[in-house]
Amino acid sequence: MPAASNQDSPPADPRPPRSVGLEVFSIRGLVKTFGDDHPYVALQDVELTVTNGEFLCLLGASGCGKSTLLNLLAGFEKPSGGELLYRGKPIGGPGRERVMFFQDANAALLPWQTVQQNVEFGLRLQGLLRSERRTRAEACLQLVGLAEHRHKVPSEISGGMRQRLQIARALAVQPDVFLMDEPFAALDAITRRRMHAALLEVWAREKRTIVFVTHDIMEALTLADRVAVMSMGPGSRIAQCMTIDQARPRNPGDPGLGQLFTRLEQLLHRISPAEAAQ
Amino acid sequence: MTALESRAAPLPPARTRLFALRARHKAVLRKLGYIAASFALTLAAWQIIALYVVGPFLIPPPLAVLKAFGPMTANGDLYRDIAMSLSRVAVGYAVGVVLALALGLFMGRIRALHDLLDPIVQAMRFLSPTAMIPIVIIWFGIGEMAKYALVFWGTVAIVLINTIAGVLRTPKIRQHAALCLGASEAQIFRLIVLPSAVPFIVIGMRLALASAFVSIIPAELLAADSGLGYLLQQSSLLLQTDRIFVALVTICLVGFAADQLFYWSTSILLRRYLAVS
Repeated sequence: MPAASNQDSPPADPRPPRSVGLEVFSIRGLVKTFGDDHPYVALQDVELTVTNGEFLCLLGASGCGKSTLLNLLAGFEKPSGGELLYRGKPIGGPGRERVMFFQDANAALLPWQTVQQNVEFGLRLQGLLRSERRTRAEACLQLVGLAEHRHKVPSEISGGMRQRLQIARALAVQPDVFLMDEPFAALDAITRRRMHAALLEVWAREKRTIVFVTHDIMEALTLADRVAVMSMGPGSRIAQCMTIDQARPRNPGDPGLGQLFTRLEQLLHRISPAEAAQ
Repeated sequence: MTALESRAAPLPPARTRLFALRARHKAVLRKLGYIAASFALTLAAWQIIALYVVGPFLIPPPLAVLKAFGPMTANGDLYRDIAMSLSRVAVGYAVGVVLALALGLFMGRIRALHDLLDPIVQAMRFLSPTAMIPIVIIWFGIGEMAKYALVFWGTVAIVLINTIAGVLRTPKIRQHAALCLGASEAQIFRLIVLPSAVPFIVIGMRLALASAFVSIIPAELLAADSGLGYLLQQSSLLLQTDRIFVALVTICLVGFAADQLFYWSTSILLRRYLAVS
């Protein structure tokens, strides 16, 4: 059985010191192709810098390669060309300093474990003691408001709670970066608004860097410090970056936000004309 | 507090638990009721067909079969035959499950091993245990080992194929999420893949259990001096249709009991792993 465990590894905080540098991700001339014989060029010449503590939204239509870029940042995929650095070093594979969130919480969580055991999962992998795990999990569950549901299993809580559980589980391993792949797209509008508030609260307290993929312009405007708009594939790239200066919490009815919304919408139409015609 | 507010207030946990318990009792009672009705209906149809359609010699009516049970249980022969068949099923099934589980987990995880062995597994599963009887008798004689081997043969492919499917169907996202949280390959296998595969493995084991019972009878028909298949064979030679029906009914009841035992025990013991969307 290949079940030999490496639980003995020390439970070190994987985060590098904050003073290391301002750039979390440095992406230059990044290319990603799929297939060998007739390669499909998903990403071409992607240029992007993600700075420390920033909330960056990757915005684009379906199929533009946002998720591909996120998978590269997580280390699930290897770049086909160009430079992709995390805090100055090439990304060798997934690691717990860059935790990914998924839209499908049912698949991402462990359905056979309770809410609390799910949060403790990452800590168990590090071989932390039970008492230590409990304390840390408790703090994370408090932070996302799930403490009173700790003995339930994921199928017994709502979709919004499952997403908060994913946040708590990630927080527990103290990552440097959150990579979020349309995490709230499957939720109803009201729950999504609540999740935005909850996420912003966590972000304000924990000061993590967040790269958040979405196809929803308003979601990007509600959350982001900066919105990177991706062009349609094949060979998609970052078409434009837009800094959002509005103070939080942001109100969708705010005229300044409305202007930005119009600009982004026009930009998206311009770079994906075929999609816009449908 | 107004009446409206009190109606909107959630029920205290004890009350909700009570309701849930009652609902579950009801569901269990309903199920048992249907099982009883199903058997009763079959007995009635059997009685009618035996007496008025085919004739009591070819199909002895239920009461005649029940009467034949008497002397067969009184001298303990029937119990001995049941015990013999059960012990053969138990050994062959246990060995088959263990081997298929171990191999299936590796084949599901190691791509090259899967691609190398899967074609031969897919081809050889068309060799039923019955087809293997002649060669097994030459290899092992007509002793217990031959029976174990045939039940093993009826078990191994079913568990193997389902185990592989369970491993392969583990959501990629769940493995990716675990990688992000710092899991090693071995930890992903043990803590993610294995629990995720449980529903498939349990289904495979349940199907294989039925197959094991089906496999033992032809083996005992052809080469044995005990067991339910042997009882069938002997009764057939002496044209004792009532005894044949005793054996057939016994096979049904023992198999049904084993299957239900398996179903309920796994449902309770592995509830967490099976209640997976």
